[in-house]
Amino acid sequence: MDDDRIFKALADPTRRMLLDRLFERDGRTLGDLEAGVEMTRFGVMKHLRVLEEAGLVVTRRNGREKLHFLNPVPIRRIHDRWIDKYTEGPASFLAGLQRAFEEEEARE
Amino acid sequence: MSDLSAQLYQVLLRATPEQVWEAITSPDRTRLYFHGAHVENTAEWHTSRGPDGADWGDGPVWEFDPPRRLVHEWRSAYDPELAKEPPSRVTWEIEDVGDGSCRLTVVHDRLGDSPGTAGSVSGEGWGSVLDGLARLLEQVSAP
Repeated sequence: MDDDRIFKALADPTRRMLLDRLFERDGRTLGDLEAGVEMTRFGVMKHLRVLEEAGLVVTRRNGREKLHFLNPVPIRRIHDRWIDKYTEGPASFLAGLQRAFEEEEARE
Repeated sequence: MSDLSAQLYQVLLRATPEQVWEAITSPDRTRLYFHGAHVENTAEWHTSRGPDGADWGDGPVWEFDPPRRLVHEWRSAYDPELAKEPPSRVTWEIEDVGDGSCRLTVVHDRLGDSPGTAGSVSGEGWGSVLDGLARLLEQVSAP
């Protein structure tokens, strides 16, 4: 579950779309996931394998079916490591502006 | 609308299966990463208590196979509204991947009739618990 694999997996629009579909409804079969995707079954399988290797998708057997689940933990880690860190500055700047406006309004 | 009736979370932990098993079954460990909950899992019963001893949800343990697999009932007694919902199920699977690491998979399912619980445990809920567990185990196994 290293960062390079996660970023590579997320760098493709089809793979992001597959993640979005799993977010809407989790635990889907390959047949279910490939419906509505303009791609061969083999193509969808290849993309799912990249997502699996990055730890973003986990498969589980349920009887004869193989179900695909979204694993949100790696994305959360990326968020904590790469997004939080750089948005803290602007976010606290905006919060400061908001406070300044409110104080001004209170004075008027 | 996102369907949360079955949720899966997987983390790679730098620890042995025995260490992970202890971390998920003994209250002295769980209180350090599980929102402060003192969780005890025996072969028969799952108990979760708040720091003040309040009932946070208990129920039967359905599978108890140390250090590999634990399945227990989940009741959201920590919140009066969620406590009215039917119980759900939590499955813990620990898989040794070598190099002193293991993969932990948590599946929280049978949440179809418990939308409040499903929402409260999703994302931040299980996410922060497993994050905390990963950090705790890294400290424990640090040389």
